[in-house]
Amino acid sequence: MNIRKRSLNGGAWYWTFLTPSFVALMIVVLIPFIIGIYYSLTTWDAVNPYSFIGFKNFTNLLHDKLFWNSLLFTAKFALVFVFLINLLGLGLAMLVTRAIPFKNFMRTSFYLPNLIGGLILGFIWNFIFIDVFSTIGDALGISGLKVWLSTTNTGFWGMVIITAWQMAGYVMVIYIAYIESVPVDLIEASQIDGANSWQQFRKITFPLIFPAFTISLFITLSNAFKIFDQNLSLTKGAPGNTTQMITLNIYQTAYSEKQMAYGQAKAVVMFLIIATISILQVYFSKKREVEQ
Amino acid sequence: MKLRKIFVLLLALIMITGIFAGCGSNSSTTKDTSSNTPVQTPASTKVQETTAAKPVTVDIFQFKVEFKDAFGAAVEAFHKDNPNITINVQTVGGGEDYGAALKAKFNAGEEPAIFNIGGPSDVETWQAKLADVSETNAAKQALDGTLQGVTVNGKIYGIPYNVEGYGLIFNKKIFEKAGIDPASITTFDALTNAVKTIDSKKKDLGIQAVFAFPCKETWVTGLHLSNAFFSPEFDGDVMKAYNSKTVDFKYGDAMKAMIDLQNKYSVQPTASMDYSTQVEKLFSTGKVAMIQQGNWVFPTLTGIDADFAQNNIGMLPYPVKGFKEDSYPLGVPMYWAVNGTKSPEVQQAAKAFLDWLYTSDNGKKIVVEQFKFIPAYKGYSNDSVSDPLGKQLLSAANAGKTFGWVFNGYPNGWGMDKLGADVQLYVGGKLDWNKLIENEKKAWADARK
Repeated sequence: MNIRKRSLNGGAWYWTFLTPSFVALMIVVLIPFIIGIYYSLTTWDAVNPYSFIGFKNFTNLLHDKLFWNSLLFTAKFALVFVFLINLLGLGLAMLVTRAIPFKNFMRTSFYLPNLIGGLILGFIWNFIFIDVFSTIGDALGISGLKVWLSTTNTGFWGMVIITAWQMAGYVMVIYIAYIESVPVDLIEASQIDGANSWQQFRKITFPLIFPAFTISLFITLSNAFKIFDQNLSLTKGAPGNTTQMITLNIYQTAYSEKQMAYGQAKAVVMFLIIATISILQVYFSKKREVEQ
Repeated sequence: MKLRKIFVLLLALIMITGIFAGCGSNSSTTKDTSSNTPVQTPASTKVQETTAAKPVTVDIFQFKVEFKDAFGAAVEAFHKDNPNITINVQTVGGGEDYGAALKAKFNAGEEPAIFNIGGPSDVETWQAKLADVSETNAAKQALDGTLQGVTVNGKIYGIPYNVEGYGLIFNKKIFEKAGIDPASITTFDALTNAVKTIDSKKKDLGIQAVFAFPCKETWVTGLHLSNAFFSPEFDGDVMKAYNSKTVDFKYGDAMKAMIDLQNKYSVQPTASMDYSTQVEKLFSTGKVAMIQQGNWVFPTLTGIDADFAQNNIGMLPYPVKGFKEDSYPLGVPMYWAVNGTKSPEVQQAAKAFLDWLYTSDNGKKIVVEQFKFIPAYKGYSNDSVSDPLGKQLLSAANAGKTFGWVFNGYPNGWGMDKLGADVQLYVGGKLDWNKLIENEKKAWADARK
């Protein structure tokens, strides 16, 4: 405590080093964020003079069916996404931390999709879902493979598949770091005590890598709400805006319907939702960690 | 560890690719620096009367990516004639991206002298920034009906880029083989019969289906298709649509018939079909007989198969039952606007450039030969257009067989995000037609409250 206190008041050097990043943060995050909240209370259209209208944008939001539908879609997506991606990431991490050949090559391959831009992935998978799937469907006579992305359900699972595939590698890296830090002597000791590999995982590895869950859940959950480019290039809301995620809804409001301030109000609501979920989740995970 | 080295190298390589991929998807901005450097020309070249005496710089911010190079060449040619006027061109493509980029430009204080507006709603947004261009030659020479959307209280705020039109583009060979005379298709019923005939001979003709109906592209359904049926409702006047508080779907049955026809005889599923599948994958390879598109597909088709594009395609009229069944919807996709907050010299120079481009002999030549535009102006000879689709549209225009575009008068986002989106549900069997009409009427009225 003493050390911390001293460094906080620690004079010129402390502030000299802090200032550049603090100024950058102010300019690109904090100030625009506050201006954005102000704009959500006005009739701002990015060009003309605007007037202050209080919470009218937010009360309009209550009757915006499309907004709530896309929020519901996003929530459903987030649920499946978070579950699947952590399972997948953990599974891959377990796989590549074992003594198997081509371990590094596999790590790279799993991480690779994460380095490609979401827009491009969307277009690539668009081709796979529509052309490749329907070719396979034709060959095998499965009509279910020929309607991909033209129905709400296939659009939903299309989104889940592409994003899970893309981001599983990222989560995998986090898990790898924690799995590799599990002390070998603990594992050996349990082996001597006669624990099988499931018991080893359940009783030793799992509790020790629990902090990784906190991080991964936090990252994937907030990512799930922020996904945009994959949605834009894969389904663009089709059919009938039923696969529209919250970010795409905000984009359309602001840029196609040209209601900048209203779109900003939606963005503020989205921020509140993500912030609430994240804070709750971090709080509960931390509590759990302390108990360990 | 050799393996590790390779791994690191591979990773680095991938990351670099990632960076490029990121660049490719984000920045379509290109600064045309070539026109920044003044071209050395003898001072004796012809200088127009309107040319300002002092050197001025005109910044152009425009959206048409397809003709960026040709436009740059035109700008240079203008600079040769008018050495005092330097023009900088910046191009940002795509419909919505352009609007957002333009707003960013204005907010950043880098206001261009010439920019693009799409129609009445843009005029309203940018009203405070727009200069009246009614005294320019270009505005005086513009064809009847091309300026409605940018005229407010007798003042004209935009100069048309060009005229574009659409209809049902067909494959001549397939029609020939099926024994159908395209000239005979001048009604919706004749079209239906022809479609049924082709459909019955699908196997012999080697096609997958008659149509390719890309419902994922909501501009095809929500803007172009619907436009044909709302144009008569609003008398072909975009301002009438823009000022209307309600929409009636007066030609709703005809619209439904057209959607049903295109959907039923299309390659399935239609709800997820996009533009490139329709035009490049299916039509250009002769896998479908007909597509609803406009003359803008010509360069794309030429790029795939020049011979096919030049000799093997034609355009059928867009039949609206109960209105005109042998006509083409023809309109102006975008306008040039002059920034009225710039100094009078800059405004004058900007107008001089637009006049030069569309009304001088040199400019005219560039417009038809380099840009391959169908001119929206008087004083161009009819055979100046070389592509078959443009020719067809031009001769239809001369015969009075056209009607106007009104979709720029729809409420913002209504055509694409509301109507077009619901059409996707309708063709997927998830939404009843009557419910669709009800939804759209309500959405229109809500937007115009």
